Amino acid sequence: MKYTLSFTLNELPVEVLVRPTDTLLDVLRQELLITSPKRGCDTGDCGACTVLMEGVPIRACLTLALTAVDKKVTTVEGLSQQGVLHPVQEAIHEAGASQCGFCTPGMVLAIESLLRHNPQPSRENVEQALTGNLCRCTGYVKIVDAALTAAQRIATAGSGEQVGE
Amino acid sequence: MTQLGYFAPDRLTDALALLAEHGRDLTVLGGGTDLMPAVNTYRFRPKGLLFVGNLGLGEISEQDGHLLIGAAATWSQLEASEVAARLTPALVEAVKISSTGAVKNSATVAGNLATASPAADLALPLLTLATEVRLASQSGERWVALDDFFVGPGQTVMKPDELITTIRVSAATGPQVFMRLGGRRALTCAVVNVAVALEHEGKTCTAAKIALGAVAPTPIRCFAAEALLRGSLLLPDVVESCATEALAASQPIDDGRASAWYRKRAGHALVSRALVQAGGGWT
Repeated sequence: MKYTLSFTLNELPVEVLVRPTDTLLDVLRQELLITSPKRGCDTGDCGACTVLMEGVPIRACLTLALTAVDKKVTTVEGLSQQGVLHPVQEAIHEAGASQCGFCTPGMVLAIESLLRHNPQPSRENVEQALTGNLCRCTGYVKIVDAALTAAQRIATAGSGEQVGE
Repeated sequence: MTQLGYFAPDRLTDALALLAEHGRDLTVLGGGTDLMPAVNTYRFRPKGLLFVGNLGLGEISEQDGHLLIGAAATWSQLEASEVAARLTPALVEAVKISSTGAVKNSATVAGNLATASPAADLALPLLTLATEVRLASQSGERWVALDDFFVGPGQTVMKPDELITTIRVSAATGPQVFMRLGGRRALTCAVVNVAVALEHEGKTCTAAKIALGAVAPTPIRCFAAEALLRGSLLLPDVVESCATEALAASQPIDDGRASAWYRKRAGHALVSRALVQAGGGWT
């Protein structure tokens, strides 16, 4: 038994056939070939499958695909604009905060969501926001550094725009 | 896989009709944070799924001094709720320290009760706050006190055709505390967890509720320990005997997270600390 699921993926409409128990992660990776969300644990513990649904970070592995009907889903593929990296991606890249890279997409989205709600987080705020994202290369220090750098850059860019206007 | 398929009705009457027709063959899906790991790891294969997120039951509100939590309200909503912060701070604390952002964005409060985990973090503050659960079915609705709700691991008094629609929590007038111990601070199932709600006149404790988790087949109230506190000053020896009495009500097991021996001792320490913290401002 299959169902037709329509939703918006990285600002493009998609339609795909899914089984009732398929997770959003199954559908993204296997049907839509969006491979940035990683299957780390399939139990919601590792955070590697984090995606944004309606701008809110969720675990794609804990989300039944059919509950995404008509929702807006964003992965890191949809985060960069016209080939320009998002400030969080850029900061992670520059800080060397991505070692094997498996946790990185989840980290990027968790940080992006944090900075949208709390543009000037403390180090503790960042650590708190990343409690659900595991990095087994244990590169946490650089990841947190990168989040703080990204926050500064977004703040500077924001104030720069205001001056420009 | 599923013979019945997936249902996501947007009216409660339709959901109740489906439950009346299919009963236990339909598995209710809230946030999926407990159900989906079981599905993904082939521990559980649902015959049919009923998603309750479209029923319009996602509200958190205040009514006559009570906190009302809709069946689809998430942990994140509760964490951000000003009403909840004012009326039930220990419940909000439990949300804050028991999980992590992306999971809290999906997990529902009702789901934490319906899955009936012995370690259910939110069940403990709710047990100390005279909580009632509204269960609806095609034949009507009933309110069940949370004290009478849990039957065993994964088991509640809910009938196969019933659905949680609302959770009603009494606002505590006195101090309330939630504490948990896990293998690490973030995102673990509790080794032992505790909630305490006290009322007092001057330095005398006039009412007490203590709930313990992960030390029995269900989250439990510690009635004998509560009785010890009533009419007492919160002195060190009273705290000590109260903690001992609280753990006497427990029946912990050895499992992968901790031994029964450890749970008893850690539980004793947590109850003591929770009582001392709850008594911090007035004793």
